[in-house]
Amino acid sequence: MERRLQQLFFALSLVALVLILAAAWQANTPSWKTYQRRFLMLESQGEPNAAAKSAVLGTPLEVHQVLLPGLQRVDRCTTCHLGVDDPTMKNAPEPFRYHAGLGPHVSARYGCTICHGGQGLATEKDAAHGNVQFSETPLLAQNYIRASCGRCHKEGDVPNVPELAEGRHLFETQGCRGCHKLNGVGGSIGPDLTEEGASHRSPEWLERHFLAPNTVSAGSAMPNFHFTKDQARDLTYYMLSLTSEEMGTYFSSMRSIPGPGYGRQLFVEKNCIACHAIGGVGAKTGPDLAGVTTRHSMGWLDEQLVNPELVYPGSSMPEYDLETNARKALVAFMSVATPEDAKSILSGRPRALSPDEVSVEAGKQDFSRFGCVGCHGTELQGGVANPNAQGGEVPSLLHVSDDYTKDEVIAVIRNGRVPPIENASAAPPPLYMPSWKSVLSDEDIHHIADYLWSKQQLKKESW
Amino acid sequence: MNLIREIWQSIVRRDPLTTDKGKSELVFLNVWLHIHPAKVKKENLKFKHSFYLGFITFFLFVILVTTGIALMCYYRPYPPQAYQDMKDLQFVVFMGPFLRNMHRWAAHGMVVCVFLHMCRVFYTGSYKKPRQFNWVVGVFLLLLTLGLSFTGYLLPWDQLAYWAITVGTNIGSYAPFVGAQVREILLGGHTVGEAALLRFYVLHVAVLPSFVILLTIVHFWRVRKDGGLSRPVWKLAPPKQQPLVTIGAPVETVALNVTAASKDKTYGLMEVVTGKPIFETVTPEEEEDTVFSYPYAFVREAVVLMATVTTIMMMSLFLDAPLEELANPAKTPNPAKAPWYFLGLQELVSHSALLGGVVAPTLMVLALLAIPYLDRNPSRRPVDRKLILWLFTFFVVVNLVLIVIGTFFRGPGWAMVPPWVHVVAGAE
Repeated sequence: MERRLQQLFFALSLVALVLILAAAWQANTPSWKTYQRRFLMLESQGEPNAAAKSAVLGTPLEVHQVLLPGLQRVDRCTTCHLGVDDPTMKNAPEPFRYHAGLGPHVSARYGCTICHGGQGLATEKDAAHGNVQFSETPLLAQNYIRASCGRCHKEGDVPNVPELAEGRHLFETQGCRGCHKLNGVGGSIGPDLTEEGASHRSPEWLERHFLAPNTVSAGSAMPNFHFTKDQARDLTYYMLSLTSEEMGTYFSSMRSIPGPGYGRQLFVEKNCIACHAIGGVGAKTGPDLAGVTTRHSMGWLDEQLVNPELVYPGSSMPEYDLETNARKALVAFMSVATPEDAKSILSGRPRALSPDEVSVEAGKQDFSRFGCVGCHGTELQGGVANPNAQGGEVPSLLHVSDDYTKDEVIAVIRNGRVPPIENASAAPPPLYMPSWKSVLSDEDIHHIADYLWSKQQLKKESW
Repeated sequence: MNLIREIWQSIVRRDPLTTDKGKSELVFLNVWLHIHPAKVKKENLKFKHSFYLGFITFFLFVILVTTGIALMCYYRPYPPQAYQDMKDLQFVVFMGPFLRNMHRWAAHGMVVCVFLHMCRVFYTGSYKKPRQFNWVVGVFLLLLTLGLSFTGYLLPWDQLAYWAITVGTNIGSYAPFVGAQVREILLGGHTVGEAALLRFYVLHVAVLPSFVILLTIVHFWRVRKDGGLSRPVWKLAPPKQQPLVTIGAPVETVALNVTAASKDKTYGLMEVVTGKPIFETVTPEEEEDTVFSYPYAFVREAVVLMATVTTIMMMSLFLDAPLEELANPAKTPNPAKAPWYFLGLQELVSHSALLGGVVAPTLMVLALLAIPYLDRNPSRRPVDRKLILWLFTFFVVVNLVLIVIGTFFRGPGWAMVPPWVHVVAGAE
């Protein structure tokens, strides 16, 4: 018995030793070493003599990585993709092929995952490409890869990617924010989209979702906007570019900042001239912007564009969801803007706006910016399907003044409203009027009511 | 040559192991081994009497300390670096996955073995006089083990960790008056975040292991003082009524050779006092049933140690510890589950937060602590303890069933979903 036990002890110790050796062997033979050996073989073929060949073959095998400390990213892709920066490898087989057409975006500086997705920390093929359980970021399919440009180039036109600008335009004009939050602004009926590009939603899913929301997520409250195929693709591109990761600002320390041209475009888009003048040309509601960049510091101006009320309590200027670079571009434009600019911007308008018109204009801006148009329509026509609500659709707002006073409408906007139900036993209607009081100031709500009433009057006059 | 022998003899001062004196000196001249008696009862060595579960638990703890210290070299306890370090362990640290797997499986193994050890002690009635308090120490060791496993669960900072701890600490917060405060102190805030990770790390690597070590010392010491591992005494022949023999004391029948105090002898300060010791004493009959700890006890312990180590290594080579996505407070998995050993509790909580989350576990722990004092039945013979054995079995089975239900039968929304039905997660 005792002898047996001693033998058992030695046998088990031997097993333990073998297991440790097996674990060490397993750790010592990762798949990336095989790839590196193959790459060295490939490289040595081009060498003229045996000495040079063996020098190449003798290169130590090691993990290569690109560190992007500000983004908390470590990309080890180049451990296997060894030829991405080497033009002589342009005909090499994968994973060694040269990555053409990168321009300034060399992998040594930008890594790989900010565009391609995947798991930068991994050193095994399946894990790195994200084809494993619990991977958040599988590789982005080739035909959608240009969407990643929008992760850094958030504003303005990205060269060669018109889809992004178009998608952003659709998002802001079709009232998506009525239900979806983006960077903290928007409704809460649908999911927050701030991280949509960082989540592992597949592009195909998104595209089908835009064409017909109910086919991919049954019972979705999202109305069918009858987007065209191109529009669905544009929106998908835009969605894939959405992430709160500060890539644009991280890299803009190395790149140039958007110039006054883009600032001017934003100035027109956000209709700043409705309240502000430049050198006496324009409206008088807000301060004249000529020389504003000499009166205030850059930081002050930036803060003013982020949160006007914080800088000027009681300021009537609305908050705009402007990206960092968009704010910089606006400031850049303001520093060079002349009364001639204002004139040409105003040339689309016959005259400066009266205070009443300013309120209506602000209401119109809010109505589209906060996504009211998503359900109520760009022309207040309503008509978005809302099963089991009375009438089966979102009501038109063109005749609101017949049934409600302005104060009642303001109360509905403030507090929200659940639409009257057609059939009490069936599922409640998916869409409802959210309460806006936490999002919109009283002033904004009054502006919107003014805007609604302005439309009513037009309707009556034309009657 | 003489110098080498001199050095050796200065280190090992015992007689050769071929002699009985050498065998006993090996034990009691060695600070590490002298927790053992020089001679142990043969009964104690039998595998079927204890399954060596206490030893296995202790060896698992040793594995955990060893691998844990190694892991500490690669780990930064703040998000999101903590998760990145897990990925580094997985992908670039030499034998990193093996190390982490060993720690993970040993941890689960320790929870299981502590529980099994407790069951063994209960079924053999080994918590009875004079070992009542050692049972209490054991219950605290069980709680510390759960605490260690629970705090370690958060450290990888993945979705699994984050939500298991969120759910686990939420269960705790159902306690009236103090629950919310305790949770806040534990987490360093209202939600699981940076502060919680740091606190759990400190508890996991410093506070809780220290308490485990302290209590383990007490636990072992008391086992030793109470006459070694408990034996099925009811199976032994009843000891003959004989006067207790105090070594060195004159017995009427035997004429003892009393030596006068001599200048050549060394006298220790051991004091002989009157009165019976509280612990088991060895009768002369039993003395015949003992063997030297060397090699009989040591070789068995060594075999159990190596069996434990190889089992954990084998598992670590083939089974990978889970690592999910980076913790994301905005994305709740459905269902979010606590660590498996708390899933019985979570199952109870799903029926009633107060009863299941507070009353039941509190009563359970109090009952466990009170068992040796409530059970007045002096007999350790199973046939005399039918009722309490059935009660305990019921308690164990209910716990296991609840854990199995919570682990395998609960799907999204905590709805009953058998494991063989596939639910598409995240279907919207």
